[in-house]
Amino acid sequence: MLGIIQKALNDNPVIKAWIIRHETTHGFQQYELKTSTESQREINSELYTVDVLCDSKNDEGKPGSGLGRVSLLPGDNISSALEKAILTAQLVHNEPYDFAEPTSIPEIELADRDYLKDPSGKIQGVINTLKETTASFPHVRLTAAECFGQEKTTHLISSKGIDATQNDTQVYLQWVYIGGTGDDEVETFAEIYRRRIADLDLLDEAALRAQYTSDLLEAESPPSYTGPIYVQGPTLAVMIAGEMLAGSLIQTLSSAALKYSGETPWEIGKSIFREEVKGDDLHIWANRQLPYGIPSSAFDNEGIPAQRIALIKDNKLAAYIADQRFADYLEMNPSGDFGSIEIPAGSITQAELQTGPHIEIAEYSWFNPSPVTGDFACEIRLGYIVEDGKRKPFKGGMLVGNLLDALSDMRWSKETGFFGNYLGPTAAIFNNLKVVG
Amino acid sequence: MGKNLLTQEMKALRPDLGEAVSILEGKAPYGAVTLSSREFTRYLVDNNQERVMPGEPTAGVILTAFDGHTMREKGVGGFHRDELLKGAKDFVSGVNFEKNGKLDPGKERVEDFQTEMEHDPAQVSTLDKLDYLREMNQRVKNIDTRIVNARVSFLEMREKTVYRNRAVDLAQDVQRVHMSIMVTAMGEKGVVIDWTSKCGTAGLEILTFSDEELEKLVKNAVGLLDAGRIEPGEYTVVTAPGVSGVIAHESFGHGVEADMFVKERAKAANYIGKRVGSELVNIYDDPGYPGAFGSYFFDDEGLLSNPTEIVKDGIFVRGITDFFSATKLGIERSPNGRRQDFTRKVYPRMTNTFFGSGDISLDELIGQVDDGIYIPKVSSGMEDPKGWGIQVSGHYGFEIKNGILTDKMYAPVGLTGYVPDVLESISAVSNDFGLSGGSCGKGTKETVPVTDGGPHLLMKVRLG
Repeated sequence: MLGIIQKALNDNPVIKAWIIRHETTHGFQQYELKTSTESQREINSELYTVDVLCDSKNDEGKPGSGLGRVSLLPGDNISSALEKAILTAQLVHNEPYDFAEPTSIPEIELADRDYLKDPSGKIQGVINTLKETTASFPHVRLTAAECFGQEKTTHLISSKGIDATQNDTQVYLQWVYIGGTGDDEVETFAEIYRRRIADLDLLDEAALRAQYTSDLLEAESPPSYTGPIYVQGPTLAVMIAGEMLAGSLIQTLSSAALKYSGETPWEIGKSIFREEVKGDDLHIWANRQLPYGIPSSAFDNEGIPAQRIALIKDNKLAAYIADQRFADYLEMNPSGDFGSIEIPAGSITQAELQTGPHIEIAEYSWFNPSPVTGDFACEIRLGYIVEDGKRKPFKGGMLVGNLLDALSDMRWSKETGFFGNYLGPTAAIFNNLKVVG
Repeated sequence: MGKNLLTQEMKALRPDLGEAVSILEGKAPYGAVTLSSREFTRYLVDNNQERVMPGEPTAGVILTAFDGHTMREKGVGGFHRDELLKGAKDFVSGVNFEKNGKLDPGKERVEDFQTEMEHDPAQVSTLDKLDYLREMNQRVKNIDTRIVNARVSFLEMREKTVYRNRAVDLAQDVQRVHMSIMVTAMGEKGVVIDWTSKCGTAGLEILTFSDEELEKLVKNAVGLLDAGRIEPGEYTVVTAPGVSGVIAHESFGHGVEADMFVKERAKAANYIGKRVGSELVNIYDDPGYPGAFGSYFFDDEGLLSNPTEIVKDGIFVRGITDFFSATKLGIERSPNGRRQDFTRKVYPRMTNTFFGSGDISLDELIGQVDDGIYIPKVSSGMEDPKGWGIQVSGHYGFEIKNGILTDKMYAPVGLTGYVPDVLESISAVSNDFGLSGGSCGKGTKETVPVTDGGPHLLMKVRLG
């Protein structure tokens, strides 16, 4: 089918450029309910997505470019689908641009070879490990778990001469721990996306969630407090890099598309902060080359190869993240999709970060700052008041602040870790945030 | 059969589904076959670009075999007869199902359903849709010079489903439309955004915006440039229908999805028949609400839509279910079994979730507030079904002084609290009603279209 689509595109003189992506996926899903299996699913799918670029003119006759996209399932009518894509492309008016030229595409490690040896068996193995591990925590009950594995193969060809294939895997695990009894029961909900089963860090994560569950049983009311806030692990990763399948504030404000439309205040060479930096200087890479990073890819949907972009250097914006179109408009090199956030190690240890009295936020309900201003007011699921070497758990209340202001007054840990879409310090202390009890 | 009710491929395969069900039930106590096709296209026009982007369509067959304990499913892309029948045989061969004669396939019914529309998006040209968005962009962008972008987007979603078990043979063609206008304003303090939207299961006829609506949108966006942060603390608060709806959604929506009961995640399980809010609190979920964005004719397990009364006069009545959770709990099913698409399993999910209306006007309700905050718009919410914490992010709020709504603006306004405390504090409910549409996930996945809504509510909560 790929060859037929390709020939039809080549034979149509109206089309200026085209890209075809052929994706096949094969997945297993296992759902556990207490000690039994709730559901098992197997899924196979295949899809062709075709982008066509055509010349178009607006009402005043100004020349431009238009993109038309169509997706085809095996057996779909190719000619009518392409006709629709071409018609759309000719109706859409944008400043002229072109598709990406072929360049060297790097080898990026994206697939879990171990998973691929026995996909359904490996998924069952994760569930078994989770159950066995949980048995060593007598104070919690595993009441539900879901584990998915998926293999995807993407073959991309374009009229510009790109012809590349990548194979990736993704593993998803969620589970629920319940502690206590009756009306005093508490829960901890964990959700992890990774490309490799090994990167789930299942034993450590399970131990951490079991500890949280135990601490929730002892948690008291939240304090009202202004001062240092310590955050670590996956909670810190979400604050910096955003939810796994959504963007972050940093990703939004460094977008070339928003620069072009005048919607980001960030300028190359200028500080991203509105206040003077009082803590560690901020350096960030947008890294699509990170091995087994969830947002990593050898090439993105336009065929732009993976890069590691120096995004923020010494607190100043160093680059915008641009697809081919906005790179053309802003006369810069395209970076392609954003990738993971990578931050260098700090200069002091986690232990040193925690020397003074502080509050640790272990879990939010949802850390969701405004995608343009960074303002946030988030409910605290579990926190700790840390003073004189004692950790007193609390739940409820909210953390209030602005993420950019918080990043301008913080210290990073020397220890680093990988959390799917974040590679960097495993802990940080924000020097001046407010908890509302 | 209505015009274009099903695709040609689905229509061709439908007569064979009964045979596939028989094959499945040769081994399993309950078998069903679903044909599912879901397509959507996004259109966008802003000051600098135009886009028409079809999303990745999903179309495939789901084979379901259930014995009351484990729900086994196989999802295969495309609609092919040979794969259907052979797939059904292969799927159940070698599986040991437990015997179970209590799995009710429902009353016998053969029926087709289709969204009623004046202007079916499928019959309107791409050019006409783009021109409408271009006109909307022009209308908004020139209202105020501080507006740097006016992003007009339109989403059309078409869901075609056939559900077949030994008793029912149902088909539906559901058309959903959603249009939003987002404006970005730039000032000395940075960038701010505001938006307005309309949506429904309907045609294009519902997507009109008055000049007054657009001017209010721009006024609020520009107002955000000078909005202050609210001093955190407990406030008397009036919530607009969209905000009220998110409170319903996060408290007695997610918290009463019956899979939460079987997973021991729902604190509400201990409160059936007990008071969970003031007697002014009534909460419903209704997948048959006419024209609402979260509506359908039957759920993804072939159960016809009808409303569920979740909270009545402050007393928790029951949750919402899918087939599995209702079977496990031994309770009557509600028509809330929904799947994102054929690649995903069914869960009990909300549809249109809302507070029931009261009997006083909005003016009377605001007139009761000496010093408080009016929250007209929500940007997000998060549930906590076990801890009963609630987090609702208000995009902004206005001060109410001496019973009068002022222009003094705060942003953002985060609302948090303990669910029973929030619901118990509701002291007045207005006689108006509105629904706001969007999408809802379970964790970070399983997205389905929903609405939330109700009237204006007067309550006491913590803001920050």
